Amino acid sequence: MSSDFSTGLRVSASGMAAQRLRMNTISSNIANINTTRTPEGGPYRRKDVVFEAMTDTRNFGEMVTQPVDQNVQRVQVTDVISDPKAVDMRYEPDHPDAGPDGYVAYPKINLMEEMANMIQATRGYEANVAAVQASKDMAMSALEIGR
Amino acid sequence: MSSSIFDKTTNSLGAAINFRQQRHQVTASNIANAETPGYKAKVLEFEDALSRAIDLEGAGAMTATAPEHYALGPGAISHARADVYDNPDINVTNDGNTVDMEKEMASLQENSILYKAALQLINKKLGALRYAVTEGGR
Repeated sequence: MSSDFSTGLRVSASGMAAQRLRMNTISSNIANINTTRTPEGGPYRRKDVVFEAMTDTRNFGEMVTQPVDQNVQRVQVTDVISDPKAVDMRYEPDHPDAGPDGYVAYPKINLMEEMANMIQATRGYEANVAAVQASKDMAMSALEIGR
Repeated sequence: MSSSIFDKTTNSLGAAINFRQQRHQVTASNIANAETPGYKAKVLEFEDALSRAIDLEGAGAMTATAPEHYALGPGAISHARADVYDNPDINVTNDGNTVDMEKEMASLQENSILYKAALQLINKKLGALRYAVTEGGR
């Protein structure tokens, strides 16, 4: 296992990036809670991120020369999925997107669920910030050796 | 009798700093993957290995030629290896993740403080050395 400062920072940065992307997805879901039109047609579908643990390697050369270290893993958003949940049909005959029966397809987004996810993403981001701070403090005090 | 400038204390402090750095990486990895489905939290343990190595440092002079040998004599400390395993205090969530965020944050801070403590001890050691080479500050 390598013992440098950049590995820890890189891993924490990957966690922050993943949580930020998740936050963007949640914002998109909340913003589009009443969107009935999308480029692909139909109402907006709720988006969700998929996190995956990845072995931390900087480049191809490192992958070849160093044994793969399974104990330090960064996180990556490998996919953004569209929630296949059914749409919410509301009777609004005057709406331009209403079907012949007078029902409009709205996205089925639960605002409470989105808010709970948002708090979770914020806390996850903060935890990674704390880890970066600790990395930085350790590196700075290591620079003080012999002063 | 050997009284080298960099003795057992400096060596063991150096090794401890190295291990704490590695533990920091493992903890950072656990925190980053706190919400990854199926991720298993890792623990890095080095205390026992290091204390055994410190006891064995300088005891007889034998060379470890295979990883399963116990290193004896000079260099025992530098041969100490940390143990990394999946956290046995399992607290599995619905998605198979075993990261306990509170525990990880506590371990992160504790590790960071003890890392700095080891650095301060090294600095004291070097300070004493500097005092000697400057003829007592004269």
